[in-house]
Amino acid sequence: MLNRTLLFFGTSLLFLFPAHAFDFDFQKAINIAKKAQQATKTIDEPEEIEIGHGIAANLLGASPLLPDDKVQQYVNEVGRWLSLQTERPDLPWQFGVLASTDINAFATPGGTIFITSGLLQKLNNESELAGVLAHEMVHVLRKHHLAALQKGARMDIASELAGEALKDKANPAVLDKAIKAGTEVYARGLDKNDEFEADRMGIVIATRAGYDPYGLPAVLQMLEASNPQDSSLALMFKTHPAPHDRLSLLDKEMGDSFDGYPAPTQADKRFDSEIAQQK
Amino acid sequence: MKYLYALILYAPLAAPVCAGQAAYTVRSTEIKQQPFSDAATVATLGEKAGVDILSRRGGWVKISSGQGNGWVRMLSLRSDSTAKKPGDSGLQSLLNVGRSGSSGITVATGVRGLSEEDLKNAHPNPSEFKKLQNYAATKTKAEKFARDARLKTRQLDYLPDGNP
Repeated sequence: MLNRTLLFFGTSLLFLFPAHAFDFDFQKAINIAKKAQQATKTIDEPEEIEIGHGIAANLLGASPLLPDDKVQQYVNEVGRWLSLQTERPDLPWQFGVLASTDINAFATPGGTIFITSGLLQKLNNESELAGVLAHEMVHVLRKHHLAALQKGARMDIASELAGEALKDKANPAVLDKAIKAGTEVYARGLDKNDEFEADRMGIVIATRAGYDPYGLPAVLQMLEASNPQDSSLALMFKTHPAPHDRLSLLDKEMGDSFDGYPAPTQADKRFDSEIAQQK
Repeated sequence: MKYLYALILYAPLAAPVCAGQAAYTVRSTEIKQQPFSDAATVATLGEKAGVDILSRRGGWVKISSGQGNGWVRMLSLRSDSTAKKPGDSGLQSLLNVGRSGSSGITVATGVRGLSEEDLKNAHPNPSEFKKLQNYAATKTKAEKFARDARLKTRQLDYLPDGNP
């Protein structure tokens, strides 16, 4: 579509100006557009998973896992159950609680999701946990980080990602570059529309799984009421749209069609015994 | 084990965050006697009316206000700093006190924050990654987990983008 628009625009110009003056830039523009188009297409699923695992290992370098098997297994069960309600149930989904006082959650390509113990401790029930995990899972489903990586990467890396170099196992340098560039995305954040999309789709995934749709909005309200100067929220607030705006959009999108989807009390009781008792 | 103590130290924060929280309406909204849209209307709040949130049930929150008490739609309320009346100590400052305690946690356990710099300078930790992989749950395990809590799947399409 972009190509066609450029072509049309370029062809119209040819009638107005001497052709040779525009030939070079015009051709270059088409090549860049083509390359960008190829890039999102040519990272296949095994590569997506490999890049994601590399980024996950880096995030674990920044913060280790909470050394609590019971909590880790519990979060994996909630997350894996949610994944079965998505269009990519067969990805190697894995979930980790990071031992960090920061309040945040992360997703890496291919199905790795992290939540910090700081955020986990602020949650009140399994539906809120499901809401947070489902939001992150949408970033994986919609490949938001891969898009951000390619958009933010230097041209040489972007074209390597678009080509065959990534498939060359004898040349791990390209993969390493992708992982390094990919990790930097977490300090920069995603496009705000990707975050809105993750909210909008996340509440549906949580509802499909049997949870209270208002788990995620409740977490957003908790964040909204928090002190924006709090250092444990600095990275999360820097990399996400304001909770106020996220709630306003969800208000519009959810309307009154999400009444009558309560979560079973067993799920909340289970959260209390798995998480809250340890608080 | 020491992390368990860290979690115990966090206990005061376990209480529902919204209890007694000051909020304001972002649109005109009806106070209902029960948390249902067809319940009797107690009063109608205008835009920017101040309320106190007492508890939540699904998409409804129980509130008290000058115009009456009852249930209003959760998403008709916001609780950012503009909700704070002058001199109102409110829950926000209460939370701040709780949060400043995080430095105590850091000392006790070595658990710390996760900053932009930490992410930029991160090096891979393969042994933690292996642990992560070992925690992954199978589909069968996840399905049993859902059955145990009577979680039932619902058919629901994704929502259209609400951004104009």
